[in-house]
Amino acid sequence: MRDRRVDRNASYEDGDCVAGDDLTAGGPVRRALDLLYLGAGYAAGVFLVAIFAIMMTMSVGRQFAINIPAGDDFASWCMAAMAFLGLAHTFKRGEMIRVGLLLERLHGRTKWIAEIVALGIATAFILYFTRYAVQMTYDSWRFNDVAQGVVALPLWIPQLGFAGGLAILSIALIDEMISVVSGNRPSYELGSPDETPEEFVERISQGGGG
Amino acid sequence: QTKWNLPAAYPADNPHSENLVAFAKDVDAATSGKLQITVHPGASLFKAPDIKRAVMTGQAQMGEVLLSIHENEDPLFGIDVVPFLATSFPDAMKLYQASKPAIAKKLDAQGLKLLFVVPWAPQGVYVNKPLATVEDMKGLKWRAYNVGTARIGELVGAQSVTIQAAELPQALATGVVNSFMSSGGTGYDAKAWESLKYFYDVQAWIPKDYTFVNKAAFEALDKPTQEAILKAAATAETRGWKAWQDKSTWYLDQLKAKGMNVEPPSPALKAGFQKIGEQLTADWLKKAGADGQAIVDAYKKM
Amino acid sequence: MANLGMIELSFVLLGVMILLLGSGVWIAVSLGLVGFVAMALTTSLPLGAVLATTTWSASSSWTLAALPLFIWMGEILFRTKLSEEMFRGLSPWVQWLPGRLTHVNVIGCGIFAAVSGSSAATCATIGKIALPELDKRGYDKGLSLGSLAGSGTLGLLIPPSIPMVVYAVTANVSVLQVFLGGFLPGVLVMVLYSGYIIIWSLLNPNKVPPRDPPMLFRKKLQESAKLAPCLLLIMAVFLSLVLGFATATECAAWGVTGALLLAWWSGTLTRKNFLESIMSATRLTCMIMLILAGAAYTTAAMAYTGIPAALATWVQGQQLTPGMLALYLSIMYIILGCLIDGISMIVLTAVIVLPMVKQAGLDLVWFGVYLIIHVEMAQITPPVGFNLFVLQNMSGRDTFTVARAAFPFFVLLLAAVFIITEYPQIVMFLPKLAFPD
Ligand code: NA
Ligand code: NA
Repeated sequence: MRDRRVDRNASYEDGDCVAGDDLTAGGPVRRALDLLYLGAGYAAGVFLVAIFAIMMTMSVGRQFAINIPAGDDFASWCMAAMAFLGLAHTFKRGEMIRVGLLLERLHGRTKWIAEIVALGIATAFILYFTRYAVQMTYDSWRFNDVAQGVVALPLWIPQLGFAGGLAILSIALIDEMISVVSGNRPSYELGSPDETPEEFVERISQGGGG
Repeated sequence: QTKWNLPAAYPADNPHSENLVAFAKDVDAATSGKLQITVHPGASLFKAPDIKRAVMTGQAQMGEVLLSIHENEDPLFGIDVVPFLATSFPDAMKLYQASKPAIAKKLDAQGLKLLFVVPWAPQGVYVNKPLATVEDMKGLKWRAYNVGTARIGELVGAQSVTIQAAELPQALATGVVNSFMSSGGTGYDAKAWESLKYFYDVQAWIPKDYTFVNKAAFEALDKPTQEAILKAAATAETRGWKAWQDKSTWYLDQLKAKGMNVEPPSPALKAGFQKIGEQLTADWLKKAGADGQAIVDAYKKM
Repeated sequence: MANLGMIELSFVLLGVMILLLGSGVWIAVSLGLVGFVAMALTTSLPLGAVLATTTWSASSSWTLAALPLFIWMGEILFRTKLSEEMFRGLSPWVQWLPGRLTHVNVIGCGIFAAVSGSSAATCATIGKIALPELDKRGYDKGLSLGSLAGSGTLGLLIPPSIPMVVYAVTANVSVLQVFLGGFLPGVLVMVLYSGYIIIWSLLNPNKVPPRDPPMLFRKKLQESAKLAPCLLLIMAVFLSLVLGFATATECAAWGVTGALLLAWWSGTLTRKNFLESIMSATRLTCMIMLILAGAAYTTAAMAYTGIPAALATWVQGQQLTPGMLALYLSIMYIILGCLIDGISMIVLTAVIVLPMVKQAGLDLVWFGVYLIIHVEMAQITPPVGFNLFVLQNMSGRDTFTVARAAFPFFVLLLAAVFIITEYPQIVMFLPKLAFPD
């Protein structure tokens, strides 16, 4: 479930919230990073539209003897690119789900430490994941791995989205870790304290898992 | 005691998977349990396209896959699926013998040791109307799933349609596709008779599954265990070829029993396909170069 | 494995999982780490390479590509005026039933469920108009909240359904067959709900307000014409499939096209709405996909340990009847459903449960529908249930009040589970009709 309820007095020490994609706040590094997450998120959105376009073309095209060679492969690759490129943006916006039951009951310093532990574990794992995703992509290039379908596309090309998306998520996690350790409220904590019930309902009801 | 994993791409009740389980049992018996091989059928560990790479990189010690899915990587791997080059089990065996040294060498360069090779049933044409000549295939909605089938579709003037294997039964039922090329077994599994009435047993090619082992893992074993594997592999190969010859007849009988017209191609249709075959063999030779030419020459002399 | 038995290993892994989930580590990461620990304890194989291979292979999938499209379709429809039209179109027709407008909740959600794959979205879409209208007329708050919470869950059972896509991909069965399997049970649940509302209203006649002023038949028809766009959309998606325009995966794209047309026609397709729907769908997909990637890796890791196979053998040895297994699993899923969301519930348990289920001889399509009904229950059980959260915020009552109102509908879902276990043909009829075998 989403870590949804927000401790309304939840700024640790002096922390103020760095919004997930408020691109005007902070220094140039901050802005560049936020732009990176948001940009990758938009790229993921473009891949969603690409999946749609490929499938419609395949479906309608069949009536007019138009075929996208290896259209199924291209849709699959768009799917992977979309899934991973949007991760950092999703994480920053607090839409990556976790069990918040215990965490929500903690306050102050205890909560701060618990948050750092959770973030630390996630950062370590995603870094490890990224390292091997990059390795696999590099190996695909080295071994000249190509797609098996009608179009023999070198596989490292679609795998760039996979490895790249994970790399950007790693950066976002490290970024977040630094921010939380230095006392800021996590940017993935949902909802501003003055969220209206309508905004809340809209946010929750967009959860397809539920 | 050593434990190995053998990812396999096809379902547990497929003759290939059954053969692998029997192979694992033979190895277990011959080594008195010193080497235990767990077969993971039905792509439960790795999907078909990933198995070769997984064994190369040591993620599993052994693997089995339809080698021709890697034809884009190296034309040699696609020798089994050159249409109308080897169109019967005896010819397929000859082609295998002719190509084995070159393929084993290619695999060796990738850190893989070839153990044994087992064929599938021959490929025929499933279609919704009778075919007298290849010209009748013009305008068919033809499933293109690899280089060879796409090229055949192009040459006969059919409309190529991209459909995943998993969606084939539904695509047949709703008429998204009205013709495709596959073995008797695939059509049987997809219940092709419900929408298509004709199967032309043109025996376009006989694809083969290759079972290989990670070379380093193999060399780390003691000599008797290595011997045991090679011996069990030879047995599995013989068993597999026999099983599939029986099975392919069985599939065709089943298709007939379900009301499908299972026919050999008419001389005119056959001649048309032969011509396409020559074209596609020439295509392949262009890609495969001197190595490929040597294999085809050796095969033709056999 | 030599020095750690299968049972000890299972408990270690379960412990690691609970510890990680409990400390608020993201679900996808927890799943991946459990796979990592499982492999590290039992093999000397390259863990990282397996992680990369299995996750890439799981995510670059044609079948899964339907998932973001179904999600996107829901995001577009959520931003239209569909709910208002649904309420006005349906309300003239249910006045004669005991319970009157309360049935709009059930029928409205049932129809909306046929275009939406999510429970919370169905609940919120129908609720945002039905709840104030029912309140205004003085309907019993408990009944209207409960029926709305319960009916919202139909979004998951009546196709399309996001958790069904997730299940089908995880269990490697046909998405289309699971969709077809959910349809009749969906109707069954609607009948149970409406039946309950009728009985309740007959028992509490003083709690049901009088009917709205009668409407001319022609006027009724005019109002119902408002339902047409939604019904057309359902037809379009269905026909694209049946007439051979689209494969099961591609019909998700037709759903998006239809939703876009509907939004454009109703004048709600603004540039802002359009972009928001894309980004919303993207984020939700990414969240689900990382969980699926974690699950794919854990599944592979578990295959190396041999635990699922051992469990399946154990089930075989216990001579468990399919009914008993279903009962035990029901208890487990109801408890899990109180604590975690539906999709996590499916993927967290799949690797262990599916081999057992297969061994016991249960059909995987049937089991998918059975599981989805438990996911529906999870939406309305406290402390964590998305429909409860939605209604809590819409009505201003607290979670437990809403949960109490929804309790009868939870019981009705249990009844539905019992009925489909006794009469599996309710699930299997349509899949068998479409795929005879
Ligand atoms: Na639905
Ligand atoms: Na719940």
